[in-house]
Amino acid sequence: MDEKKNVVQEVMDGLTNWARVNSPWVLHFNSGSCNGCDIEILATLTPRYDLERLGVRLEASPRHADVLLCTGAVTRQARERLIRIYEQMHEPKFVVAIGSCALSGGVFRGCYNVMNGIEEVIPVDAYIPGCPPRPEAIIDGVVKLLNSLSPANHQITVADRNDKPSTEKAVEE
Amino acid sequence: MSTLSALFAISIFPGGLFLLSSGLLYEWGNRKLLALLQNRVGPRWFQPLADTIKLLAKEEVIPTGTNKFLFIGLPMVALAGGLTAALYVPLAGLAPSASFDGDLIMVFYLLSLLTLCMGLAGTNTVSRFSLIGATRTLTQVFSYEAPFLLALLGVAAAAGSWQISNITAYSGQHWLILTQPLGFLVALIGLMGKLEMPPFDAPEAHTEIVAGALTEYSGRGLAFFHLGKAIELVIGLTLIAAFFLGGLSNPLWFLIKTLALLFIMVVLQALLARLRIDQTVGLWWRYGVLLVLVQWLLMVLL
Ligand code: SF4
Repeated sequence: MDEKKNVVQEVMDGLTNWARVNSPWVLHFNSGSCNGCDIEILATLTPRYDLERLGVRLEASPRHADVLLCTGAVTRQARERLIRIYEQMHEPKFVVAIGSCALSGGVFRGCYNVMNGIEEVIPVDAYIPGCPPRPEAIIDGVVKLLNSLSPANHQITVADRNDKPSTEKAVEE
Repeated sequence: MSTLSALFAISIFPGGLFLLSSGLLYEWGNRKLLALLQNRVGPRWFQPLADTIKLLAKEEVIPTGTNKFLFIGLPMVALAGGLTAALYVPLAGLAPSASFDGDLIMVFYLLSLLTLCMGLAGTNTVSRFSLIGATRTLTQVFSYEAPFLLALLGVAAAAGSWQISNITAYSGQHWLILTQPLGFLVALIGLMGKLEMPPFDAPEAHTEIVAGALTEYSGRGLAFFHLGKAIELVIGLTLIAAFFLGGLSNPLWFLIKTLALLFIMVVLQALLARLRIDQTVGLWWRYGVLLVLVQWLLMVLL
């Protein structure tokens, strides 16, 4: 009985994992970037790269989204909004920091009005460097994040992320 | 024995499993064709399924300020309405599994249930985007519903019956698209309005009001609403194909005719830009109703 339940559980887990990997709905938030990275994100979503073939859909409501694409060095004013949007998203949720500013503050590092990167405010799951990163790099980063979900690889759990807000960099170029 | 066949009808064919899977496949067809017209690759064939499973497995949060009972119940009612309506339409070209005199009216109401539930779900939350979306949804219901109803009733009048199985038997011998082209046009565009496809997607305009009435929904509720819409697409296509395109004599014809209709709808979606909500209302009450009334007049005169 116990074993049978485990098999069912495994199948269900596999199914949900498959669905999650194949249907990431993204939300785009600008926490004070120069707009360069945002334009690259929009370019990524255009027909030229056609992310719908990977199941990516741009959602406008945090409640619908699975992945938060976040750019910018997080200004002190954007900080509260960023936290609020992050908390409005439903589990399981992932954060991708896009651009040098989002990683470390970039050219704005050390300014009196910025937090020096997203990971200072909310836990980040993948980092995509570049100023700004090319659309290919953004796609690569999101795909790497999604691949890390499959059980063969390291599974990012909620507890994990709460333990160490800054996981190791998923993308390094 | 009859309990068994009823169970089969509800859970496998034509309700339940068959309907859900065909709904997901038609939704994929819709998205894929649209993508091809926009010079894109488009989603993979299992995309709607993956979306649905993912949503079902997502955390569900009930926002503050909502009525919990309604928040959880409305998506279920919406989906149940669609599933029930399927029992009365000639899905896959086979005879409907249940039928009584006047079931056409009931199917109309069951199909509107989804939209009404979405409107209620929007007004149930305190989010202003949901409220605007809900207002637009309900406004749109009142604009397209009357012309749509009149267009389909034109067929019922021609067949002299309010029972779907009688109407399909009549329309099997007559291609009503030839005798009632205006009614066909209004019915097809009415279906697009019902499904909130572009150009009638003002209620869920992503670029203006986040996601309309469903802004606060996630997880299971959103999945149910999505499924309900996919089902409504199949049922609507079936109804229009059966009424106007010479009936559905077998599954092959069903497939060909519904896909042809779907293709027309996709081309319209790709061609037209979103209408403002007042333009939508104007379109339906100025031109939609007029067209149907002209159709009725012709029917009476000829
Ligand atoms: S990383 Fe470069 S392009 Fe992106 S927001 Fe910072 S300065 Fe702008």
